[in-house]
Amino acid sequence: MNESQSKPVILAVDDTPENLDVVKGILASEYSVKAAINGPIALKIAEKHRPDLILLDVMMPGMDGYEVCQKLKENPKTRDIPVIFVTAMDQTSDETRGFSLGAADYIFKPVIPPILQARVKTHLALKQSMDELSEAYGIIKQQKDRMEEELNIGRDIQMSMLPLEFPQRDEFSVHALLQPAREVGGDFYDFFFINEDELVLVVGDVSGKGVPAALFMAVTKSVIKTRAMDDPSPASIVTRVNDEMSQDNPSSMFVTLFIAICNIRTGECRFTNAGHNPPYIRRRDGKLEILSQRHGPIIGAMEDLAYKESSVDLGMGDQLFIFTDGVTEAMDKEDNLFSEKRLEDHLESSMGSSVEDLVSDTLLSVEKYADGAEQADDITMLACSLLKEPDKSEYPRMSLVISSDFQEIGRLNKELARFARKNDLPEDVMRKLNIAIDDLVNNIISYGTDEDGKQFIEINCAYLDNRLMLEVVDTGKPFNPFEQLNPDTTSSIEDRKIGGLGRLLVKELMDDVDYERQKDRNVVKLIMDIP
Amino acid sequence: MDIKHRDVGGVSVLDFTGNLDTNTSPTAEAEVSRLLDEGSTKILFNFSELNFISSSGLRILLATAKKLKMSDGKMVVCNLNDVVQEVFDISGFASILNLAANEEEALASF
Repeated sequence: MNESQSKPVILAVDDTPENLDVVKGILASEYSVKAAINGPIALKIAEKHRPDLILLDVMMPGMDGYEVCQKLKENPKTRDIPVIFVTAMDQTSDETRGFSLGAADYIFKPVIPPILQARVKTHLALKQSMDELSEAYGIIKQQKDRMEEELNIGRDIQMSMLPLEFPQRDEFSVHALLQPAREVGGDFYDFFFINEDELVLVVGDVSGKGVPAALFMAVTKSVIKTRAMDDPSPASIVTRVNDEMSQDNPSSMFVTLFIAICNIRTGECRFTNAGHNPPYIRRRDGKLEILSQRHGPIIGAMEDLAYKESSVDLGMGDQLFIFTDGVTEAMDKEDNLFSEKRLEDHLESSMGSSVEDLVSDTLLSVEKYADGAEQADDITMLACSLLKEPDKSEYPRMSLVISSDFQEIGRLNKELARFARKNDLPEDVMRKLNIAIDDLVNNIISYGTDEDGKQFIEINCAYLDNRLMLEVVDTGKPFNPFEQLNPDTTSSIEDRKIGGLGRLLVKELMDDVDYERQKDRNVVKLIMDIP
Repeated sequence: MDIKHRDVGGVSVLDFTGNLDTNTSPTAEAEVSRLLDEGSTKILFNFSELNFISSSGLRILLATAKKLKMSDGKMVVCNLNDVVQEVFDISGFASILNLAANEEEALASF
């Protein structure tokens, strides 16, 4: 029985039993032959056993071959079984009818064995090819669906990472827009403050699409943010980001990047361009400038590259417009590009609009140009404007980074003393400051740092408006030196304990103190009013 | 920081120049230990040239005061500048240590 199951199954249909025997005789050695004496039986067997091929006699009483064929083709279960009509010579005129009903071929009676075998073999082979093709198509469609899914996931990752809340402040405004293309992904933008005055703006374009591009973008974005937090130079940030992204880059993804650090108080913007299309500045008077300086190649290609930076000043009413090539390379139906020229014309003509309008109007302009052509690449724009007159006054300030060693306190206090002398601060103020710093930093090193952990402590000092303000920032564990402050200040010499006195001195000697835990850092502020 | 030692009528006078803080307190501690080991029971901390003191310095003073109290000795601190005085006030040390405005007064109190 097993033997016959691996052989292809042929169903022979004929109302004359002798003809069935003849066919069986010819085919039985290679195939498993089933026989049906009339149409209805044939249909039953066909549906039940799904033969690989049907040899169908045309002239049968009751249901003839054509009707059987028609019914076979109507039933989805038997539709794909190849049907070969077997007919007597003098009925050739009905060939066309047979083919139009879906028959695969005709054989004439009397059946010549080699011809029958050849036809059967041919049509079985044909059927097999069809089956294989069908299967292959199914797999391809499945993979295509999976790819679409991946693209969608990539899209979701990309869009979920974009800051969508635009700060409303008096001194400046920021707005951004990212319109993703259907297939291609990879654009991103970011903006965040690294301190009170400095705003970081980032726009990038990752090569590639789908989930790998989205992940590469996520990593790039977070590396940039991490580096920017303790590195005030765009050149240095980009250099370090490039090193990191170039190191483990097996799929050779790249990203073009434009980073600007804008001081919204002074209006000074330092920027680094790594292979990105140059942004524009639209001055208050409408003049358009292009920031054409390039400071290095795209990110991710090669390690150990030192990027440079340039600087530009923004005045009140000036707008910085950063974008990706999805804007300038948008195409119309004839594949003509929107181009830099059109963008420049558009920017120049939109006088006095807010950054939000600037960005959305530019998108409208691009869409109008494309006029229905499919968007080929992500369109990204980030615009920033200074709304107040820049304050370029130089007030005395000082920054210092020390490591968490007690000896460093001496170095720090020396620098602070030098700063105080240089700015004619009263001696008492300097003394109190030194004491507070000695005790504060001592506490940070003693209690805020993990046992074998070493960390850097940053001190920023500014003197303006008769106030001396110090900021002490460390990245140790959360430690509020002004919390649970109840040291012993009243018991006798014998019973007196010294714990907490240092922190008390810091609090009491300064005119004002503040503690804040910002993400992963402790920020202590010390304020002294200068008479 | 510099510490000079003079003996005035049986009182060990320590003249401090500089700051008594995290990094310099160990030196002060060593010097005072030495004096106590040598048998001093009367110690005068002369702060006329002391710029400032932080809690690390206060710790040394307290330790010295405790030891002297146990051995029936005496410790006085004199010539505090305004800021050092304020530190003593905030920390409550002004109430538990013997303070004097100048050296004569201080020596007279031993």
